[in-house]
Amino acid sequence: MLIRPIAEDFRLIALYLGRILLVVAAAGMLPLVWAAIAREWDPFGSFLLMVGILAFLGAVGVRFGPAEPKLDWSHGMVVVALTWLVVPIIGAIPLLLSGHFVSPLDAFFDSMSGLTTTGLSLLSDLDHLASSLNFWRHLLQFLGGQGIIIAALTMFAGTGGITLYFGEARDERILPSVTSTARFIWGVSAVHLVFGVAALGLIGWLALGFDLDRALFHGLLVFFAAFDTGGFSPMSTSIGYYHSALFEGFTALLMVAGAMSFGLHYALWRGPRRAIFANLETKTILSTFGFTLLVTLLGLAATSVFTTAAGLSRQGLFQVLSAHTGTGFATVPTAELARWGGLAFGGMAIAMALGGMGSSTAGGVKSLRVGLTIKSVVNQIKQMLLPEHALVGTGYYQSGEKHLSPALTQSVMIISLLYVALYLLGAGVGLAYGIPLQESLFESVSASANVGLSVGVTDPTMPVLLELTYMLQMWAGRLEFVAVFSLIGFLLAWVRGK
Amino acid sequence: MRNVFRLLFLVMMMFPAAPAFAQEIAVSELLAESPNLSGEVISIEGELVGDYGFRGDGWMWTQLNDDTYVDFPIRDGILPVGGNIGVGVRIPSELAENLDHPGGYHYRGPIVRLTGIWRHHDPARQGESYLEVGSLDVVEEGRVLDEGVVWWTVIAGAGLILAAGAIWRTRPERGGGDGRR
Repeated sequence: MLIRPIAEDFRLIALYLGRILLVVAAAGMLPLVWAAIAREWDPFGSFLLMVGILAFLGAVGVRFGPAEPKLDWSHGMVVVALTWLVVPIIGAIPLLLSGHFVSPLDAFFDSMSGLTTTGLSLLSDLDHLASSLNFWRHLLQFLGGQGIIIAALTMFAGTGGITLYFGEARDERILPSVTSTARFIWGVSAVHLVFGVAALGLIGWLALGFDLDRALFHGLLVFFAAFDTGGFSPMSTSIGYYHSALFEGFTALLMVAGAMSFGLHYALWRGPRRAIFANLETKTILSTFGFTLLVTLLGLAATSVFTTAAGLSRQGLFQVLSAHTGTGFATVPTAELARWGGLAFGGMAIAMALGGMGSSTAGGVKSLRVGLTIKSVVNQIKQMLLPEHALVGTGYYQSGEKHLSPALTQSVMIISLLYVALYLLGAGVGLAYGIPLQESLFESVSASANVGLSVGVTDPTMPVLLELTYMLQMWAGRLEFVAVFSLIGFLLAWVRGK
Repeated sequence: MRNVFRLLFLVMMMFPAAPAFAQEIAVSELLAESPNLSGEVISIEGELVGDYGFRGDGWMWTQLNDDTYVDFPIRDGILPVGGNIGVGVRIPSELAENLDHPGGYHYRGPIVRLTGIWRHHDPARQGESYLEVGSLDVVEEGRVLDEGVVWWTVIAGAGLILAAGAIWRTRPERGGGDGRR
């Protein structure tokens, strides 16, 4: 029987949501200051409005929250799901007021795409967008990739912090407490931020000949989008704008760092490093990356898209890496990517669907689930082939010896199947609108796995239902379903509960 | 090689019939037909945007956009109609020295006509595609794009922040159950 939520439940949710909105309001001060420094007065006003709305709603939530808050699992999940809806709605205000979007829904689409680190965009005339707005789009990716909840936990955790943490699709606690884990994640990101921006900025300034301020601007924005596997880019031609193997190389390193789980970052920083390559997740991602790269390169070679080995390896490697890490950067135009057929298309689509590591900024099914699924299937086959009473080993190594229990297998299979269903949902809607299967599937996987590579389906003229479907896919894919189902359950209980 | 190429263009420009060698093409068409135009001498026209990257090797890299916003920037009040359509271009530094500020938020960049060889997946640059420019004509100088403060957003935003501050001050004290975990 569904139990109808009472006023206290709503007040509790409002309190935690309010706190998170206040953190986002604080983050919104950054583009506000940026706009003032860059003398971009139109965006300045819209950022002030956005910060005002965030602060007001946040303060109301905190003011009317219960005096003795105690967040349980279901409330926490509802808070997470709502956060990932409310923040993009309010975050879309400056984008909408910029005049670069055809409709409010398009601005919401971009905001959702940014926060979920997808990278698909309906923005018109990016190349004339105010730098502060461009910064905000990329900052949304940083907030989304790191996890807004992580940001809030770092400032004020409160009871129920662990619920919020897991609700945001983080499935490992690196340090004993959630707050210290959140701080570690921000610490790792801060170090990467300093070195990443410095490296990309220096390349832009010294090798590409940009003015220093512009070089740092490009460095900062590309860092946000690369490390958080987001895929927005400062210019409309994505990473192809830079025409530099060196710049692409550093960007690729940041994409890899972003697709690594923070547990792996911890092992790299504090050891033991030898265990890293023993992990099932590491082995899986290296194998699937090698496989999809090989398939894509064979496809490109077979169709003579690139005529030299150097061109094939540089362009093919970057695109597959971008797809597998869920980043969505491209060095080839959308029109050209759309022409990649056969094996090259297959390799890219599989790479996007599989995604990066768990507890990273990447999307997709995630490597650990892929590894465990393969292991389960292999175990099943072994069981069938061996004598009836033979025992098949169910152990695997992932930061220590683990046991692949039936419950874990079931959980992994369910989430993996949900991802497949999500991929098919968007492809089905695309097909219903007469978009060819290949394009429909590619774009749908790109949205669901929060990648952002596009073959041109995502466009301001796209049907509204398809746009809404992609938004749902980005949202559900980023939160890995659980928080979304909790919110649906909560709403059902509100309507039909007793 | 670069000097031979420039000499070729110089010769081309000296004769009235020379422009007939260069195929005038829209960038959208160029992107659609990119492989078929590889190695061809083409002319494209549009706005230079982003940055001028003088790399110290005699070349400057930038992007040329050929879309609606070249003539009708959003800041002039035109309704948005979709993404940009642009390609990378490599221009001899000496041709690019006196160009106006590239297009961006505050500027509509110079509109130029570029003639050169289309390099599709250039083997010498590991598969990059770009126009190697031999000649550059400025069709229209760049200009500053106006903007003003939208006062209602400033007033509404400031009002909401003040209201938020007032509400925050009345928040209840919360006990230890809300402490860190």
